[in-house]
Amino acid sequence: MTWMFMSICVLLLVTLPVNLQTQLIAGATVLAIMMVLKTLNAGGIWRLIALAFGTAIVMRYVYWRTTSTLPPINQLENFIPGFLLYLAEMYSVMMLALSLFVVAMPLPHRPGRPTVKGKLPSVDVFIPTYNEDIELLANTMAAAKAMDYPADRMKVWILDDGGTVQKRNAEKIVEAHSAEKRFTDLKALCEALDVHYLTREKNAHAKAGNLNNGLEHSTGELIAVFDADHAPARDFLLETVGYFNEDEKLFLVQTPHFFLNPDPLERNLRTFEQMPSENEMFYGIIQRGLDKWNAAFFCGSAAVLRREALNVTGGFSGVSITEDCETAIALHSRGWNSVYLDKPLIAGLQPATFASFIGQRSRWAQGMMQILRFRFPLFNGGLSLPQRLCYLSSTLFWLFPFPRAIFLVAPLFYLFFGLEIFTASGGEFLAYTLIYMIVNLMMQNYLYGAFRWPWISELYEYVQTIHLLPAVISVMLNPRKPTFKVTAKDERIDRSRLSELAAPFFVIFFVLLIGVGVTIYRIYTEPYKADVTLVVGAWNLLNLIFAGCALGVVSERGDKRPSRRVKVSRRCEFRFGDKWVPGTIDDVSVNGIRVQLLGNLTDQLSIDMASDVRFKTSATGEMGDLPIQVRNIRKQAGETAVGCLFMPDDPTDHTLIADLIFANSSQWTKFQLDRRGNPGLIKGTIWFFGVAMFQTYRGFSYLARQITGRDKAGWERT
Amino acid sequence: MKRLFTACLLTVLATLPLQAQVSPFDMSPEKPAEEPAPPPGQPTVPATPDLVPVLPAPKVETPAVRYIIPQDSLSFSGETGEKTWAVFITEDQAASAATLSLTYQNSLIVAPEWSTLTLAINNAQIVNEPVQSSENRKTLTVDVPAGVLKAGLNVFKMSTSLRHRTDCTVQSTYELWTEVDPSKTFLSFTGDSARRFRKIDDIRAIGVDAAGRTTFNLVVPAINRMAATAPMLHLAEALAVLANMPNLAVTISPAMPKEQLPGSLTILVGTDDELQGLPEALLANTPGAPLAAFVDDPATGGSVLRVRGPDWQTVTNAVASIVDPLKREIGVPRSFLSTQTWRSPDVPLFTAASRAKFRDLGVPTRNFNGRRLRTEFAIGVPSDFYANEYGKATILLDAAYSEDVLPGSQINIYVNDNIAATLPITTRGGEILRHFPIGFTMRHFRPGVNLITMEAVLNTRSDTVCAPGTGATSPTRFALFDTSEFVMPDFARIGTIPNLAGLSGTSFPYGRSDKPLPVIINNGGEKSYSAAATLLARMSVAAGRPLEVDPRATANSTVNSNALFMGAIPQIESTVLTQTGIAENIRTVWSDVRGVEPAADTGPTQVEFDQWRERLAGRGWRGQISSFDDWLNRTFNISLNSFSFYAGRDEAYAPEPAASLLIAQRANPAGDGVWTLVTAPTDDSLLDSVRAMTQQDRWSKLDGHISIYKGGTDEIQEVPVGEFTFVPTQPLSFSNMRLIIANWLSGNILSFSLLLIVFSTLLGVATSGLLSNLGRRV
Repeated sequence: MTWMFMSICVLLLVTLPVNLQTQLIAGATVLAIMMVLKTLNAGGIWRLIALAFGTAIVMRYVYWRTTSTLPPINQLENFIPGFLLYLAEMYSVMMLALSLFVVAMPLPHRPGRPTVKGKLPSVDVFIPTYNEDIELLANTMAAAKAMDYPADRMKVWILDDGGTVQKRNAEKIVEAHSAEKRFTDLKALCEALDVHYLTREKNAHAKAGNLNNGLEHSTGELIAVFDADHAPARDFLLETVGYFNEDEKLFLVQTPHFFLNPDPLERNLRTFEQMPSENEMFYGIIQRGLDKWNAAFFCGSAAVLRREALNVTGGFSGVSITEDCETAIALHSRGWNSVYLDKPLIAGLQPATFASFIGQRSRWAQGMMQILRFRFPLFNGGLSLPQRLCYLSSTLFWLFPFPRAIFLVAPLFYLFFGLEIFTASGGEFLAYTLIYMIVNLMMQNYLYGAFRWPWISELYEYVQTIHLLPAVISVMLNPRKPTFKVTAKDERIDRSRLSELAAPFFVIFFVLLIGVGVTIYRIYTEPYKADVTLVVGAWNLLNLIFAGCALGVVSERGDKRPSRRVKVSRRCEFRFGDKWVPGTIDDVSVNGIRVQLLGNLTDQLSIDMASDVRFKTSATGEMGDLPIQVRNIRKQAGETAVGCLFMPDDPTDHTLIADLIFANSSQWTKFQLDRRGNPGLIKGTIWFFGVAMFQTYRGFSYLARQITGRDKAGWERT
Repeated sequence: MKRLFTACLLTVLATLPLQAQVSPFDMSPEKPAEEPAPPPGQPTVPATPDLVPVLPAPKVETPAVRYIIPQDSLSFSGETGEKTWAVFITEDQAASAATLSLTYQNSLIVAPEWSTLTLAINNAQIVNEPVQSSENRKTLTVDVPAGVLKAGLNVFKMSTSLRHRTDCTVQSTYELWTEVDPSKTFLSFTGDSARRFRKIDDIRAIGVDAAGRTTFNLVVPAINRMAATAPMLHLAEALAVLANMPNLAVTISPAMPKEQLPGSLTILVGTDDELQGLPEALLANTPGAPLAAFVDDPATGGSVLRVRGPDWQTVTNAVASIVDPLKREIGVPRSFLSTQTWRSPDVPLFTAASRAKFRDLGVPTRNFNGRRLRTEFAIGVPSDFYANEYGKATILLDAAYSEDVLPGSQINIYVNDNIAATLPITTRGGEILRHFPIGFTMRHFRPGVNLITMEAVLNTRSDTVCAPGTGATSPTRFALFDTSEFVMPDFARIGTIPNLAGLSGTSFPYGRSDKPLPVIINNGGEKSYSAAATLLARMSVAAGRPLEVDPRATANSTVNSNALFMGAIPQIESTVLTQTGIAENIRTVWSDVRGVEPAADTGPTQVEFDQWRERLAGRGWRGQISSFDDWLNRTFNISLNSFSFYAGRDEAYAPEPAASLLIAQRANPAGDGVWTLVTAPTDDSLLDSVRAMTQQDRWSKLDGHISIYKGGTDEIQEVPVGEFTFVPTQPLSFSNMRLIIANWLSGNILSFSLLLIVFSTLLGVATSGLLSNLGRRV
């Protein structure tokens, strides 16, 4: 086999113990070629060639690192941290190898939707909920109900775990009371929207149990699952159900999660509008890569599953707290297939505060650790080899807090204690490590360029590491202990403040800052080892930059308007008293709309004025009235722009809101495409360092204010 | 007088810093130039009247003198110096009373109360002398206690420990030296029998003369008989291998030498008829005596070796009786290179991955309280060593340093006087190093014996203060333990041609050939034969066995075999010149070399430039940049040569007129053997230059494709190997192939890059092919 042969050739070549000069020149040459290929934006076979170049350099680094840099074993004080650092690096290389495999050739976008001949399959739409706002649920239900699908082939179910008998009979009277109220209110809302309400006796097995309860009470051939805050577009089912016809062994069609609000990092760094979101790398390329190997997995929401398949495994699996991935493994290992559809068909919310973001990630990390522990993918006989590697990649990824932590403290071993845990000269660092690092960055940029800007992965990993590390360690010690915690996503940050999890970040920043001081001191007092000190100092400085940038991430900006506005353009009419004035709906968010009215109408409008907007719904083509309240008025050339807040008083009003926001999925795609773009390694790096500097400053200004207790009006605009 | 002396002192002191300004990577000029030329106006130091009895007036009463130092000068520099070697003593000598004379002189700034010179024989200390003779040479005469000297090899160990009178700096240690005068350092034995040799093995006791040389005088009356050529060359080789001395010359002459000096032996070779012209006393035939045996020479009181027979067939057999015991099977590798007579212990030969403890390499545990500790040991590598470009050897260092040692101190490793590694000491407060690995490049390794020097340069707090007296009496601050190890990794083994370094180290490739070596001595006669015998003797010593030779007449008969061509340039055939890469115009260049002054060295501008650069180094930002540049050069050592894909055919070479000897090597015309050419302008210069070139220290500089010796300036130049061919010497196992390729690619940087590019591209294409066949496609 040619590939095997070439791999062996490359392997033999890169493990030759050639000298330093040769390595330097070869490294620089390969680097130059990769840069040229990248500049030319060469795709297809050139992409794989460039990756092969990178792989060769990485393998050379691994060979050198393994054979020449470990401290002697008889110096345990150096060897132990040195070996840990080595393991951390090898982990990174292994993850790089796995991700190379996964995304070597991601499936291209699937062309068109498959047509369904004959009768459409019957679908049960499950919206599991635990403690979400009823308001929020109303929009989701309305959007689900509004999906284009024959009404007799589709049933929408609210699976309420917040109103179970167990909850309503809770020992604490306040809790019991609010559960009872939720039960009644939600039930009423469901009736109004023609949605089936279902709850159960006990909250056993969390979300998986809830979904399984839904399975027991329904009969549809297919199950669509939406989180309570994930509202589907109208074409969701039509886009997805066709695949089940094409492949009888298909158990899953997964679609991406598209978020209308920024995550805390995006919000605090103000990158939401310009930079691709964190999850776009996963949904934009990794899932497509997994799909190539028939290993796209269930992400808990925005997916359609086949009941027949779920029955084989007795419903959704619930050993781990990430029931979605676990279910997918169970079905993949029984020979069922999955499909990933790369088109955003739902829009949702994600955690807004840093604390809830960390809570969500802790659950994912702990769940994946449980899967590693109880369903170790590599030895799962039912999975194909590529599937095993794919799942290994997805689960092992969550070990990142360990190497991150090691990379963070490793330079300090040298700077503070003089330990030499990486035996190499300055020249070797240049010829091996530096070239390896640049090649590594370039490979990542090649793989994920448009979806992930340089250093952003590192920043995300760093900000999570501090709190994920204990979580991952605890699940390793007690694999059955973690329980499912629902992530809060609809919080608002009214006032700028430091996150309650901010303290460790400041401590780390100061420690690293001392490290920089020690670096300078050492360069001047110990000139005989200045080269090593410089290298280690530069590494520490890089860590400091991340730490500084993270200070910005934990400095929560006050934000009055947490959710994003989506640009639309729809004719409408605005009510003045009993007169209707024609206008255009300009943009829309979960909370309100902006309407453009012809002519200067400022004198007829006033803040807090209650009114109605009516427009033709996409679902039925009939006019619907939506109550609103005027929040702001702006005069423009020949027009008046009116910002309005939704004032839904009738459940059916939610149908109208859903119709405005969620009717058209192509607008989300457009929004995503707008912020995709690869700034390139150099530009991206410069940009990142700029952001990091500013965020460091911002973090400290928040800290200063927190300490002095000043809370002026101007502060919220920071 | 006193004032004059002070002036002299000042002048000397003023010049000292310059002498001491040794660039840190050049180890050679550590000893003060042999006898520093006195500054103008300074009266030459009156040499001490020779206390030594002038050499042997052939009277029976004069004691037998054995010079002991196998080199023409011996200087110990720095704070520590040591030389260990072995002297072969005959039974008669061991039995007679011996006196040792030792003459030395030391530099002015050596503090006598803290400096010693010692000599031990077989671990018995014979001399322990405060070093105190800076004004003139001092001769010590000591009786060697009976029983110390034994028949056979006796290990002599001379060592110095010198301390500066006033200075505590590392720099100051470069000014310390003690010179031992080989011409006035000897053993004298009483009794006649001490000068006699009785059995063939006694040849090993031939010893050296006042200049450290050993001479075999072959007296061959029928020197030009064809039948005589091979036996006499062969005999010369065998004698050389037997004596195994570092600086060895062979003369072949039809007449008796005028006198027999110490360190020389006369050998009579011929049929009984041919020997008739020689002194009567040497011709007595004892019936039944071996054909090769010693006879007493009443003229000198010593012995001469007589190899005789009724005809040449018998003489040849008699030669064989000496040669045969020295033969070694081809393909049986030596585990040691025999160097005892000039460096003891014998040098271990590393043919594969292995390790050796310092104590087995002759490095004892040392506790040191000075500033610069130098220790050296030697290791041998085979001629097919092919790891210069990539290889790294390791020293696992067991050592300790006290809290007095400051960071900034360092341990340097030199290979054959080239810096190979530096280990900075970076921790304060002392440390014990246990098997601490110091990797160092094998770039400077060459076939044969390699000298590895470890130097600990110690900066200490107490030296910064330098209170009077403490410079020499401070407590131990550094210890080197003899449990340290030298670790030789697995290295690539394949022979290359041309490879004069291989010829020098182990007589490669002739040393391992199982066929006699065709030798073409274009012009017979005393000088050519003496030169050839000297060279072959040297090569046999390097090979560790007498080489079989096959005298031939013309190059044509050797087109598909190995060959050694010797002769003055007029006698060398043009085909040989062409084949070995020498330009034909060498004949005109060398047509009249008389009266040509050694060409002026074109180097000084570079030297001056370097001096200026050194003065300006580190000033301002330009200094920073240039030091970065230096670092880059130092670290990566990248030269333009490394960037060529193919070396290209070397241009034919013509030496300068000043060259007095040229040695060139190439594959033979058929490509299945190796031709080596040794030529000179004239027969005279051939003999002189071959004698010079085969001396240990020069011979070990033989290298490259062509080596040139300039007698006028005593310089050796090499033309590096360009085009070469591989000669497999080992089965081409996978691991050996891998290392060979690694070394080749390390020397051909761009080829490695190119291969990497090609392979990666193909891998990319193959991956693309594979991926479009695997997994899902849409």
